[in-house]
Amino acid sequence: MIREVDVAVIGSGPAGLTAAIHAHNSGARKVLLLEREEELGGILKQCIHNGFGLEQFKQDYTGPEYAERLIKELEKTGVQCFLNTLVTDLSSERVITALSPEHGALEIKAKSIVLAMGCRERTGPSIGIPGTRPAGIFTAGVAQRFVNIDGYLPGKKVVILGSGDIGLIMARRLTLEGARVIGVYEIMNYPGGLKRNIVQCLNDFDVPLHLSHTVTEIRGKERVGGVVISKVDSSLHPVQGTEKSIECDTLLLSVGLIPENELSKKAGIELSGATKGPITTETMETSVPGIFTCGNVSAVFDLVDYVAQTGAAAGTFAARYASGSLSADRRPVDIVAGENVRLLFPQRYGFQDDLVLFIRAAEPVEKPVTIEVAPPGSKINRLYARPNEMLRVKVPKEKLAEAKQPIKVSIMEK
Amino acid sequence: MAAEKKHFVCVVCPIGCEIDVVYDGSEIISMEGNKCEKSEEFVRQELIGPMRILTTTVRIQGSRLPVIPVRTDKSVPKRLFPRMMKQLRRIKLQAPVNMLDVVARDVLHTGANIIATRTMLRE
Repeated sequence: MIREVDVAVIGSGPAGLTAAIHAHNSGARKVLLLEREEELGGILKQCIHNGFGLEQFKQDYTGPEYAERLIKELEKTGVQCFLNTLVTDLSSERVITALSPEHGALEIKAKSIVLAMGCRERTGPSIGIPGTRPAGIFTAGVAQRFVNIDGYLPGKKVVILGSGDIGLIMARRLTLEGARVIGVYEIMNYPGGLKRNIVQCLNDFDVPLHLSHTVTEIRGKERVGGVVISKVDSSLHPVQGTEKSIECDTLLLSVGLIPENELSKKAGIELSGATKGPITTETMETSVPGIFTCGNVSAVFDLVDYVAQTGAAAGTFAARYASGSLSADRRPVDIVAGENVRLLFPQRYGFQDDLVLFIRAAEPVEKPVTIEVAPPGSKINRLYARPNEMLRVKVPKEKLAEAKQPIKVSIMEK
Repeated sequence: MAAEKKHFVCVVCPIGCEIDVVYDGSEIISMEGNKCEKSEEFVRQELIGPMRILTTTVRIQGSRLPVIPVRTDKSVPKRLFPRMMKQLRRIKLQAPVNMLDVVARDVLHTGANIIATRTMLRE
């Protein structure tokens, strides 16, 4: 039996929950939310620290509180949720194949679809580390789940490779729980995570951060017994003679996140080489008509507020697409990275709404900068540009009416 | 007490001003690097004794999961974190627990309560 719905949302983290709420509030009658876990909320459930929703709700929530607020809002809408439901396939004709103990094998035909599957943790750099492969090597997010959801400590003497936000958060969390965090080692010469996390998670607990350092060997037979740390040169190669042996029982990897796009690929959605997520317009529509995307499956965002903002847009425009009221009379134009821009999102402008651009700088600039969006030639000033803090700028729709191919975005020193 | 130079990174907002302060043990002699007055208040508190929200988990019985996330309902002195963690390790809750339920009152006489940050049903 094929079920038919107006809007199907895949994933119930902050992006999916917000998208489902907005799809309903924008008039979509049959909205279905699919979640592979036992409960709604996604990764927020294990992010027990505060700092969520400062911008969106003007509140300092923890992850679970933020999730519960959205879940309560969703419950009021009457949107149907299928839990324990794993989506296994997605076609460009918007047919979803899914499996669930309760509903069995499912086929769902949706007028529009919102992808909100989130991201995965990178492990790539760790695979290249010479040495043994004992127990005790975890990604930071997996360790976070062990501690905060399952209630046990993954190790007692911990080295953290990479200074992504989850690694920083786990340095604090593990210290509080009685583990000794020896240090955070970052291959780049600037930290990966937010400055406030460096202060509140490392400095507050006297955990040292070593920039331009990496792990060059893992030691141990059954369990991690230690690692070798080396300095790296300006081309990120380990410098011979700088090796230092450190005894530890656990190595955490916090080396970045990557959008989870197994389903997007199956549907033939065009992906961006820079964000590794679908190429979208400001309405969050992908290259496949009627399939929208939001949150960390589209690009890895720094703040949950940004994730929710893309979720709101995706839900709203998915509802409009489902009701047939989304016009497509103008061809979208490309938005391309100019000077000092490593990546940007969205990558196309479809003339439907204001353009909210998320930009990641390639190199840090610790002085006032001008962000230029041209055409139309809008100039927006910011106090600084840092690769570890996404810039967000808004260009009103009216200004973009005459935009021509391509729109170029640059970050320039003032 | 002789005047001392201290360095702070303000965490009031995402800018993260790097602030250099000269402090004589009771008064701020000079302060450089902050872009607004809010960081002045932040630095003053950091000098007296840093205050933070503590977020952690406590044990729970009768629910699907063995631990439930909690936090202090206001900032508490950071130096009390180890003692608070020790005290919280002794707590064992019974499901159901609702979000914002008080788990422990006036912990270590700080005036702060420990509250649950999610709902956990009985299963």
